[in-house]
Amino acid sequence: MKTLTLLLVAAFSINNCICVDRNNFKTCDQSGFCKRLRPLKPEKSQYTLNLDSVFVHGNVLSAEVITVNNNGEKKNVEWHYALRLSALVDGTFRVEIDEAEPLYPRYRSMVALDGEPKGDILKLISNENGKLTLKNSQGHKVIITAEPLKFEFLDKNGEPAVVLNDNAQLFVEPLKVRNGDGEETDIEGSLAENFKSHHDSKPRGNEAVSIDVAFPDADQAYGIPEHTDGFHLKTTTSGEPYRLYNLDVFEYELDSRMAIYGSIPVMYAHGPKRSVGVFWHNSAETWIDVVNYGEGNVVSSLVNLVTGGQKRRVDARFMSESGVVDIFVLMGDAPSDVYRQYSTLTGVTPLPPKFSLAYHQSRWNYVDEADVRSVDEGFDSHDIPLDVIWLDIEYTDNRKYFTWHPIKFAHPAEMVGNLTAKGRKMVVIIDPHIKREAGYFFHEDCTEQGLYIKNKDGNDYEGWCWPGSSSYPDFHNPAAFKYFAERYRFENFPGTNKDVHIWNDMNEPSVFNGPEITMPKDNRHYKPSQDGQDGLASFWEHRHIHNEYGVWHIMATHQGMLDRSNGQYRPFILSRAVYSGTQRYAAVWTGDNMAEWGFLLASISMCLSLASAGVSFCGSDVGGFFKYPEAELMTRWYQAAAFQPFMRAHSHIETKRREPWLYDATTTSRLRDAVRRRYALLDLWYTLFYEHTLDRVPVMRPLLTHYPKEEQTYTIDDTYLLGDKLLIRPVVEPGVSSVKVYLPGRDSHTVWYDVDSFQRHEANGYFTQEVTISKIPVYQRGGSIIPRKERVRRSSALMEDDPYTLVVTLDINNTATGTLYIDDGETYDFKSNKFIYAKITYEQTAMKYIITNSGNYPTRSWLERIVIAGIKSPPKSAKLIQDGKSTALQMTIHRGNDVLVVRKPAALMAKAWEIQFSY
Amino acid sequence: MIYSNWLSKLQSFVLVTSSLVIFVLSDVPRPRGVSLSKASLYSPSKDFTCFDGTNTIPFSYVNDDYCDCFDGSDEPGTSACLNSVFHCTNAGHRPQNIPSSRVNDGICDCCDGTDEYAAPNTCSNTCDELGREARAQAQQLAELHKAGNSLRLELIEKGNIKRSEMGEQLSQLEKDKIEALKIKEEKEALKSDIEAKENEALKVYREAEEKEKERKAELEKEELLKEATEQFNKYDSDNDGLLSVNEIRVVNVFDKNKDGEVDQEEIQYFFGDSENVDKDTFVSSVWSLLKPLLMMEEGMFRPEQDDQEEHDEELPHEEEQHEQDQEGEEETEDNEQHDLNIDDQINDQAKTYDDETKRLMDEASEARRLYNDAERAVREIESNIRTIQQNLEKDYGLNQEYATMDGECLEHEDKEYVYRLCLFDRVTQKSRNGGGEVGLGNWGEWGGDGDNKYSIMKYTNGVTCWNGPARMTTVHITCGLETKLTSVTEPYRCEYKIDLTSPAACDDSHFIQQQQKKESHDEL
Repeated sequence: MKTLTLLLVAAFSINNCICVDRNNFKTCDQSGFCKRLRPLKPEKSQYTLNLDSVFVHGNVLSAEVITVNNNGEKKNVEWHYALRLSALVDGTFRVEIDEAEPLYPRYRSMVALDGEPKGDILKLISNENGKLTLKNSQGHKVIITAEPLKFEFLDKNGEPAVVLNDNAQLFVEPLKVRNGDGEETDIEGSLAENFKSHHDSKPRGNEAVSIDVAFPDADQAYGIPEHTDGFHLKTTTSGEPYRLYNLDVFEYELDSRMAIYGSIPVMYAHGPKRSVGVFWHNSAETWIDVVNYGEGNVVSSLVNLVTGGQKRRVDARFMSESGVVDIFVLMGDAPSDVYRQYSTLTGVTPLPPKFSLAYHQSRWNYVDEADVRSVDEGFDSHDIPLDVIWLDIEYTDNRKYFTWHPIKFAHPAEMVGNLTAKGRKMVVIIDPHIKREAGYFFHEDCTEQGLYIKNKDGNDYEGWCWPGSSSYPDFHNPAAFKYFAERYRFENFPGTNKDVHIWNDMNEPSVFNGPEITMPKDNRHYKPSQDGQDGLASFWEHRHIHNEYGVWHIMATHQGMLDRSNGQYRPFILSRAVYSGTQRYAAVWTGDNMAEWGFLLASISMCLSLASAGVSFCGSDVGGFFKYPEAELMTRWYQAAAFQPFMRAHSHIETKRREPWLYDATTTSRLRDAVRRRYALLDLWYTLFYEHTLDRVPVMRPLLTHYPKEEQTYTIDDTYLLGDKLLIRPVVEPGVSSVKVYLPGRDSHTVWYDVDSFQRHEANGYFTQEVTISKIPVYQRGGSIIPRKERVRRSSALMEDDPYTLVVTLDINNTATGTLYIDDGETYDFKSNKFIYAKITYEQTAMKYIITNSGNYPTRSWLERIVIAGIKSPPKSAKLIQDGKSTALQMTIHRGNDVLVVRKPAALMAKAWEIQFSY
Repeated sequence: MIYSNWLSKLQSFVLVTSSLVIFVLSDVPRPRGVSLSKASLYSPSKDFTCFDGTNTIPFSYVNDDYCDCFDGSDEPGTSACLNSVFHCTNAGHRPQNIPSSRVNDGICDCCDGTDEYAAPNTCSNTCDELGREARAQAQQLAELHKAGNSLRLELIEKGNIKRSEMGEQLSQLEKDKIEALKIKEEKEALKSDIEAKENEALKVYREAEEKEKERKAELEKEELLKEATEQFNKYDSDNDGLLSVNEIRVVNVFDKNKDGEVDQEEIQYFFGDSENVDKDTFVSSVWSLLKPLLMMEEGMFRPEQDDQEEHDEELPHEEEQHEQDQEGEEETEDNEQHDLNIDDQINDQAKTYDDETKRLMDEASEARRLYNDAERAVREIESNIRTIQQNLEKDYGLNQEYATMDGECLEHEDKEYVYRLCLFDRVTQKSRNGGGEVGLGNWGEWGGDGDNKYSIMKYTNGVTCWNGPARMTTVHITCGLETKLTSVTEPYRCEYKIDLTSPAACDDSHFIQQQQKKESHDEL
C-alpha cells in the first residue's frame, strides 16, 4: 500500500510552503514561440532592404524588405515585407515591419498609444554604399544598412545610441495557408500547442515576431515591468528571459522574472553618456532576453565577440507570439527626456481627484454595513484621517457585479451617505468576470446581444472565477463596451453616486481553470467586418490582444464614470492588470503581496519600475495581502507608504483584522503619525501629479533621473525622489537603529535637509543615518519649497480651506523655488482655467508667490507660516505686501539648526503676495 | 513630523504685537473652547504660559488661530494646534470635548454648534432637544434597572438556594461514594476468586491454540518463500543465483511509475545501493516491496486514475489538501479491514469446552458483570461530585445572580443562522439550510473591564477557522426584564459578539453610581 500512496502524492504535487506554484506557469521552453525563437542566432540576418524601393515622404520612409534564401548559387527571395520608418516629434523614431501582403491583417495593439503619434520631419541625406542616412529636425541620425538589414540611431554627437538587428534576430514569421492535409508540420508546434491539460488550436499557425536592440555605452537597462527582481535588469543568458504576459499569479515570488499582473514593453538604457529607450508596441505574450556586458558574470569571450571588449553595452531581444514588428526608439538623451518621450506616445496619468492621493482603508471584506460604519467611526475615535473605505467582492449579491448583497448591504445609499457626510468616499470592486446565472440582467443581456468573448468554436466562452461559472465581456465589441460603461449610470447601479469610485481587479483576465490561470489563447474577440465576415479574417484571437484586455476593461469603466456625471467629475479607478496606456485611466497596485519585509522592499522597486514606464500612480497593499504583519513591519509599511503615490491598506479575508487601532496603543499612534504625515503633504502630492501632466516625468523617480552622471545611483532601488524635491529611503529592515542613505548631487554642491530635524547634509554619497522606530529618512533638497497643511482633519475634503505652511530649504546660494497647485480637487473645472498654479521663489531680500496661469480659483486658504531652513544670517524684519497693503510680520529664529519661522503672514493664497526682508 | 512637534525641541524668542481674543459669553468669561474647570488658567491680565511651560506668549496670542504652544494650550478654541482639545458647553445637554481638528471643518460636532463658529449658520443648536431625549432615555433606563433589580434579587436568592442545595448534594454524594467503594471491593474479591479457577481450567485449551497458531505461521512462511523463490528464479534469467540490475531493467513490474522504463530511482528503491541481490536478500527485503506491485499488475489493486491535470488547475489549495487527507484515511481503513479479517479467521476456529469449564466461565463472567456494575456506580458518583464541585467553583456573579442560569440555552435566528447560547457551557451556530453545528466557543471566563467584570462573558476555543484562529464569542450583558439574546454578529473574523439582556444585570444602585460618575466626568 505504501507504493500506492507514493504514486498519489507525486501526482498531486502539493506545495506546503507559501509560495508560487510554478507548475501553473510556462517557462520559455513551454511557450512554443519562445522555445522556437530563443535559440535562433544566425550569423547574418536574412533580411535585406531593397534599395530601389526606398521612398521618403513627409516624416516616413517606406521600403521593401525581403528575406533571401542563400541555398545554392542563386539567391531566392523567400518573402516580402513592408518597412516603415517614421520620425516623430520629440526625438522619437518608429520602425514597423509587416508582411507586404499578409494572408489577413496582423494585429496591432489598439489601446497603448494616446492617439496617432505626431510626425517630425525626416530627411534622406545620403544613399551610398548600400547605406541610407536620414536625419530628423533635432539632429538625430538614422543609418540603415541594406544588407544585412541594420538600423543605427545616432545621438546628436553622431555616436550610435541604439542599434536594431545588430545581432540578426529580426524575425517576422509569415502567415501560411493551412490546407489541413497534415503535411505542414515542418515547424514545431505550428499546428497546435499543449500546456498541461490545455490545448491551443493555433488556427493561424506560427506568427511570431522578434528583434534585437543594442544600447552602446549603457551601464544599466531598466523598465519592462511588472517583475519582482529589482529595478535594473539582469543578464538572462543562464536563466529564463523576462516575461510579459498579464497573469494572476497566486502568491507570486520575489526576485523573479516570471510574468505577473502587468506588462509594459518599454525599456530604458542608461549610462553617463546618455539615456535612451525603446518601446516594443505589442500586446501579445512577450519574452525579453537581456545581456549586460558590464555585469561580472557575462563571459569575457562573449563580451569580446559582440562588443570588441567594450563592457559598457546592454543588448536586449524582444520576442512576441504575434503581431508585427513595431518599435519606437526614444533618443533621450536625459532620463527625463526618455520618460517624456514614452509618455508622449502612450499618455500620462491625468490629474487624479485629490481624495485618491489620501489614505485608503480596504479589506477583503468589510462584511456588512455595520462593519463599514464601525471602521469609519474607528478612524474618528482614534483620530486617524481617512478618505476612502473599500468594498471587495463580498458586497455583491453572490458575486454578481452591479448588485448589492440584499441582507448585508441592503442600504447602500445610506451607507455611502454616512461616509460622504465626513468628506469620505467609497470604492467598490467591479471585475470583468460575469456570473452565468439565469435571471442576472448582465448575463442575460450579454448572452442575448452576443457581447461575451467567444471560444475557439464561436460559442460564448465559459471560465471559472469568483462567482463560479463566468463569461467575460468582449470590449473590442463597441456594443459590449457601451453596455458595460452604461452599467455605471447611477440609475443602473442604485446606491452609487459621484463619490463611489471603482476598483477593476482580476482583469488580466484571471480564469481559475484556464491555461496559466487566464484565458485560452484561441478564444475569439470581435473584429469589425472590414476584412471579411468569414474565417480567420473575421475575428481576433485572445493571443493577439491578451496584455491589453485590462486596459479595455478600465477604459469602459472610465467612460462609464465620465458619462454618469456628464463629464463633470474625475473618476478614480484602480486596476491590477497593467499595460501601456493603463496610466491614462487608472492607478495600479502590485497585487497580492505578502506581509514580509522582502515585499515591503519590493514595493519600492516595483513602483519605481512602473513609474518610469509611465504609471506614476502606484502602491502596494500596505501591511501585505497574505499573512499578518506584526507591529514593527506594519509601522514601517505605513511609514513607507505615506511616501508612495497610492496608499491603501488591504488584507486577505483569512487573515487577522488589522485596522490601525487593533495594534497596541504605541503602534497605533505610530500608524497615526504616518497617516498624518501623508495628509500634511497632500498638496505637494497634488502639485506633483499636476506637474506630471505637464512635464510627463514620473512623480516617483529613480535617483538617476536628476543625477544621471552619478554611476552609484544606477542600481539604487530602495531610495527614490518625489519630484525633484524629496528624497526618501524607507526603513525596510527589521530591528535596525541606523541605515545607509545615498545623498546624490556632490558635484552640484547639493545640500539635503532632514525633514524631521532640519539638519543639513552636504551631498556626499553614502552616509549613515540613525533611525528609531518612529523615524524614516526623508530629506528635502536645498533650493526647494514645499507646501504643507499642518491641520490634519478627518478627511482631505475637510482640509480644503485650511492654511498653508511653506517649508523653504536653502541651497548654497541662499535661494529656493517651489510650486503650488490649487483647485476644487474633484471636477474638470480646471480645464476651464479654474485653478491656481503658483510659482514661489525665495531670495535673501524677498519671497514671492506668483500665480502663473491666467485663470484663478477662489481658495479660502491662507498662509499660516513660513519655515526657512539653512538660514545663516536672519533678517531683522519682514513685511508682507498683498493688494498694495503692507503688514509687519513677526519671526522666530531657532538657533542650533538655523531655522527661521515667519509667524502668521495670513496672506490669501488666491492672490499674489510678496514678503520683503530687511537686514 | 508635524511642525509643532519639533517646535518644542527648540529654544526660541518671540516678538510681540497684539490681536483680538474672542470670549465665549458665559457665566465665567473664558476663551472659546475652554471648560469651566480650566477657565482660571486663562487670565487676560497677564501673559499666557503654555501648560507645559515651554513658551510664554502675550495673552492676545491665545486663540489667535496660530499655534504657539507645543501642547496646544494656547489654541483651545481654534484648529491651529494639532493636539489641542475643544470644549463645548452644550447648555441643555452634556458638555463635550472634541479634538481641535474638528473645529471649523464644516461638520457639526457639538450640539450647541460652537465648533463651527467661523460659519455661524452651519449648525443649529440642538442641545435642548438632544438633552431632553437623553434625559428621557436615562430616566427610562433607570426605571428599567429599578424594575429589573427586584427580579435580580429573586435570582440572587434562588442562586444562593441552588448553591446550598449543591452543597448538600455534595455531602450526600460523598457518603454514597464510601458505600459504593465498599461494594466495589467486595465484588472485586469475588471476581478474582472465581477468575483464578476459570483460568486454571482454560489453560489446557490455550496451549492447544498456541500450537495451532505456530503451525499456521510456519505454513505461511513456507508459502511466502516458495512464491518469492519462484519469482526470483523467473527474473534471474542467467540463473547465477544473483538478481542483477540488468535483469530487472527488463521486467515491467519493477517500473514503479509505469513510465516504460526501470530508472535509477526505481532500482534504488528495490536494491538500495547494491548492484545485485542474492535469493535470501530478495526473499527477506525486496519481495515485500515488489509484491504489492505484482498484485496491482494482476489487477488486485486498482489505483484511482484521477484526471490529475484538472486537479492541478483548481485553485483553492484547501480542496487538494482535503483530497489528500481523504486518500490517507481510506488507506488506513483498508489496513484495519485487513487486520480484522485475520482476527476473524483465528476466532473462527470454534472451540468446545467441557461442562465444568463452561460452568466456571459462566460464573466468572457473572462475577465480572457484578464487579463492573459496582465500578460504574463509583465512577458515576465521582463524576457527579466533580460536576458539582466544578459548578461550586464557577463564578456566577457578584451575588450568585447567574447561578440558576447555568445550562440554560437561548436561541437567536438571523437570516442565515440559528445561534444557540447555553450559559456557562457553550455557543453554537447552525446554518438554516441544514448542516452540522459549529462550536463558537466554550465557557471561559468573565471578561468585563474593572468594575464591569460581570458585563461580558467570554466563550473561547471554538472550532478552528480554516487557516485562522479558533472561534470565540463574547456575550455582552445589559439590563432587561427578560433573559434573551437580542443580536449576534461577527465583527471580526471568527470572533462573535452576542448581546444578551437579563435582569441579573439590573442593579439600580450600581447604575445610579455609574450615571453620576459619567456626569461629573463630563463637567471637566
